[in-house]
Amino acid sequence: MTPLEQIIFLLKAVPITLAISFLSFLLGLGLGILFAFMRIYGSTPLRYFSDSYEKFFRSVPVLAVMLLLYFGVGPYIQIFKDPFFTSVISLGIVSGANQSQIFRSAIGSVGRSQMLAAISLGLTELKAMRYVILPQALFLAVPGLGSEIALLIKDSAYSFIIGVIELMKHTDILRASQRSLVLPYIASAIIYVAMTFPLATYLDKWGSRKKKELGL
Amino acid sequence: MTTILECRELTKVYGKVVAVNNVSLGIDRGETKVIFGPSGSGKSTLLRCLGLLEKPTKGTILFNGTDVYASRQDLNKLRARIGFVFQDPSLFRHLTAIGNVMLGLKHVLGLSDNEARRKAYEALKLVRMEDWANYYPSQLSGGQQQRVGIARAIAMDPEVVLFDEPTAALDVELKWEVITVMKDLAERGTTMLVATHELRFAREVADEMIFMDQGQIIEIGSPDHFFTSPNTERAKKFMAKILG
Repeated sequence: MTPLEQIIFLLKAVPITLAISFLSFLLGLGLGILFAFMRIYGSTPLRYFSDSYEKFFRSVPVLAVMLLLYFGVGPYIQIFKDPFFTSVISLGIVSGANQSQIFRSAIGSVGRSQMLAAISLGLTELKAMRYVILPQALFLAVPGLGSEIALLIKDSAYSFIIGVIELMKHTDILRASQRSLVLPYIASAIIYVAMTFPLATYLDKWGSRKKKELGL
Repeated sequence: MTTILECRELTKVYGKVVAVNNVSLGIDRGETKVIFGPSGSGKSTLLRCLGLLEKPTKGTILFNGTDVYASRQDLNKLRARIGFVFQDPSLFRHLTAIGNVMLGLKHVLGLSDNEARRKAYEALKLVRMEDWANYYPSQLSGGQQQRVGIARAIAMDPEVVLFDEPTAALDVELKWEVITVMKDLAERGTTMLVATHELRFAREVADEMIFMDQGQIIEIGSPDHFFTSPNTERAKKFMAKILG
C-alpha cells in the first residue's frame, strides 16, 4: 500500500467512528437531560437514583461497561450480541452520566427566578421546563457538550476490542499488514485530532458567544 | 364592589422566621392598593402567597370568593388570572420581548401564533415597547425590561396584577418610565396590588395604603392619611425617613 492508499484505508473507517460517537452522544443527551431534571426537580427517591447513576458511571471505565455488556449480557439479550450497538449503548450510558452533570450545572445557572416567572404565567412545571428552562440550559451546556462529543469520538476507539470495524481497527489492520508500528498510529491520531478539535473549539466559541449575546 | 383576591389570617414561616404573621386583606375590582414598609417587612412574601407562588403556612387565600387551597382548584389556571410583576423582571433571556409576552398566551391560553402575536403587540404598545418587540432582554435597559415584564403580565388579561417592588432595582430616570406605565394602568381601571417605596406614585393612584412591618399589617389608610397624620409611631418614622 502506498501512503495515500493507507490514508484512504483509514478514512474509510471514519463514518463508523462518527456513527458510534454521534449515536452514543444522542443517547447520552437524552439520559443526561432526564437525569439532570430528576436530580433537580424529582422526588427524593428519584434524586437518589439519579445521583447514584451519575456517581457510578462517572467512576467506571467505559471499556469495563462495554466488555460487561458484550460478554456478560450479550449471551442473554439480543441487542448486546451486536458489537456496534453494544458500543453505542455503553458509550451512551457513560456519557449520560457526564451529560447529566453538564445539564445540572447549566439548569442551575438558568436560575430559580426563571422557573418562578414561568409558573406565575400559569405554565405547568413541565411546560416551564420545556419552553423556558431547557432552551436556556442548552445554550449554557453547548461548550461542555462540545467537549463531551470530542471525548466520545476518542472513546469510540474502545469499540475495536469487541470487534467493531472502526478507525482504530483499521489502524491495527494497517499496523499488522504494513509491519509499521508507528506510522499508522500517527496518521490515525491526526484523523482523531481533525475530528475532535475543530468541532469542540467551534461549539465552545459558539456557546460562549450566544451566552454573551443573551446575557445568560 | 367585588373582592377578587383576599387572604385571611395568612401566616408564612420559613424555618424559625415568621415572614408574614396573621395578615388579612382583600383587593376589590378596579382598586389600586399599595403595600409599603421597610425591607424584610414581609411585603414580597405576602405578594408571592397571594400570587399562589408560595403556599401559606396558615390561613386562607380566596380568589373570587373561593378558598384556593381547600377547593383544590387547578393552581396553574388560577395563576394565569393573577398577573405578577417581579422586582427583577425575570424576562426569559432566550426570547425576544414579543416572544416573552407570547409565551403564556400560546402555551397557557392556547392562542394561535397569529392571535398571540397580535395580543402581545397590543400589550407592548400599552407599555410603549412596541418598537422594541424584536429585541432580546440583554439589549434592553432595566426600565425597558420591566415594562416588558408588565406587558407579559397584562397580556394574559388577568383579573388582578401584583407588583413586587417593580422599581426597586432601577435608577431614578428608569423608575419613572415604569411608574408612568403603572399609573396608566391604574387609570385604565386595572386592579392592582403594588408593593413599593414610591410614595409619590402611591399618593397619586392608590385607593388605599397598607403599612407593614415585621410581617404584620401595622396601619391601613388613605394616602392623605399617611401623608398627613399616620396613627402609629412606626408608620410616622417610616414616612419621615422616606420623605426625608
